[in-house]
Amino acid sequence: MGGFLISMQLQDKYRIALLSAYAIALHGFESLLPTPIPWLKLGLANIITLIALLLYGIRVAITITLIRVTLASLFTGTFLGPAFILSLGGGVTSTLSMWFVLSISPGLLSPIGLSLIGALFHNIAQLFLAYFLFIQRIEAILLISPVIIFIGTLTGTVNGVVSGILLKDLKKADKKIQNENKSE
Amino acid sequence: MDTLVTISVVSDSRDHAEKGIDAAFSEIETLEKLTNFFSPDSEISHINRNAGISEVKVSPETLELLDKALFISKKTEGAFDITIGPVITLYDFYKKIKPEDLELKKKVSFVNYKDLLIDRNKSTVFLKKSNMLIDPGGISKGYAADKAVETLKKLGIHAGLISVAGDIKAFGLRPDGRPWRIGIRNPRIPPNPPLVKGGGGGFLDDIMATIELKDMAISTSGDYERYFILNGRRYHHLLNPKTGYPAEGCQSVSIITKEGVFTDAFASGIFILGHERGLKVLEEMGFEGVIVDSTGKIHITPQIRGKVEFKKPV
Amino acid sequence: MNLKNLFEGTTKADRILFIVLIFLSFSGIVFMKEVLPEGKTVRIEVNGHPVYLLPVEKDRVVSVDGPEGETVIEIKNHKVRITKSPCYNKLCIHQGWIESGAIVCLPNRVVITIGNHKENPPIPPFDKGGDGGIFDIDAVTG
Repeated sequence: MGGFLISMQLQDKYRIALLSAYAIALHGFESLLPTPIPWLKLGLANIITLIALLLYGIRVAITITLIRVTLASLFTGTFLGPAFILSLGGGVTSTLSMWFVLSISPGLLSPIGLSLIGALFHNIAQLFLAYFLFIQRIEAILLISPVIIFIGTLTGTVNGVVSGILLKDLKKADKKIQNENKSE
Repeated sequence: MDTLVTISVVSDSRDHAEKGIDAAFSEIETLEKLTNFFSPDSEISHINRNAGISEVKVSPETLELLDKALFISKKTEGAFDITIGPVITLYDFYKKIKPEDLELKKKVSFVNYKDLLIDRNKSTVFLKKSNMLIDPGGISKGYAADKAVETLKKLGIHAGLISVAGDIKAFGLRPDGRPWRIGIRNPRIPPNPPLVKGGGGGFLDDIMATIELKDMAISTSGDYERYFILNGRRYHHLLNPKTGYPAEGCQSVSIITKEGVFTDAFASGIFILGHERGLKVLEEMGFEGVIVDSTGKIHITPQIRGKVEFKKPV
Repeated sequence: MNLKNLFEGTTKADRILFIVLIFLSFSGIVFMKEVLPEGKTVRIEVNGHPVYLLPVEKDRVVSVDGPEGETVIEIKNHKVRITKSPCYNKLCIHQGWIESGAIVCLPNRVVITIGNHKENPPIPPFDKGGDGGIFDIDAVTG
């Protein structure tokens, strides 16, 4: 039994590292995409966060978010700069909001709905931070909020759908591994 | 020159304005080719190569520039000295290199504007001792601004503003009828602070005062333009020609008068003289000035009081 | 992608959330576009400080410098848009033309608002006259 638990833990650590790598890779991949597709911004990496949250819980999800945001900003040379703060604020708020909903009412929302919540709070957090730190004109913030939230809702839906699909596949793979372990 | 030149011109016709601007840039380029210390083909380099050897025939512009430089050297008791070449080349402000005391002592002996001989009849210039070097960096930009404005005026442009890396000459009025407004940088606040947190400010924090110019030029010499700090000591590019070391009395000096060639060179000279002697020289010459001494205290010439606005009262 | 399958995977709460968000944000956008008065002046700020205040009547192209680089703004036919910006996601460019309201380029800290601004910022190139305040500066020495 002890041996079984340990191998599960190792597997999780392996998965965290792998997921973080995927998240960063997706972030990098996004930046290579041609710009006529702005609504994919910050979309893809959130898929990873949502899946991690649903499979492994809040600690793993937050860790991955922190790793992704920090490494991405170090890589692009924007560490501790405004972009980093916005990314961090958005990412952490988004992850926590999704966890909150999950904790209160687990069956209420599917991955799609959770992704919508995540996207919504991500944007709200960023608008807030932008107001307090950079753009002190509340009119400007209010004026652009609807567009941002609209676009966020669309990307959130797409991400949620993709997350749902990946989740099913991963669960299948997980069960398979568990079965294999049990039979050892 | 690696300097940023900005030319603004007021005209009813876009075409006219563009022609003027092109001609002004062209004039500045021409002067640069004649006076560039770092270019082996310039007349200055020609003179430098023949130091201690022979006199060199030069164009009227170069002659005028050097003539004015000598005048300014006399008026600043040698604090401004265009023959500072041998000593300034010992410093590298990017690589943070400064000379050894012995090296400096040797080279400083070659700095002396009195050994720069000009023959106006023959249009020649001669550096008496070999190893002497002219570096016109401290005066050529102001001179270029003057010449560029002359060019614009000849072409019928009556108002404009030229900035050659911060050496500025204004003529005429802005389209709104007001004089041109120039900001004077705070010697200790850099432009564009990296991350702005919370409250306002940050955008023009680096400006300590604004001044209105009516057909005047202004230049500023500061210890923050090219410098490095080594062992707690600041090494900047405004060197005392007698010692070869950076002058210590001021943080920045801004001079205002009609000619850019004077504002440029006197700004360096007075920086080296310090505020006490500097203010006396300004009074003698009838120039206006703003001097920030090494403690950060601001000294101004009495006439300027109404025309310059400080962020904090002086 | 099986649309029916996707729909079945969603809960009631999902669908309500989606509809509410789309509705609210969309009406917000419509509101901004229709209800706000068409402005007469375009105000461009960088880092929270006014840099340009221009009349919307005159077609022109201006550029401002922010921490990430140069943002280019075009005024044409009483409308404004950002044509070039160094930001990563180019959301500001994709907002397209606006006749009222605002465009923001967050990474480069540029805020453009159309309104009837009466306050005092600097106005190069002098169509309306500078106010003589601390921002009204034509060049910097030093």
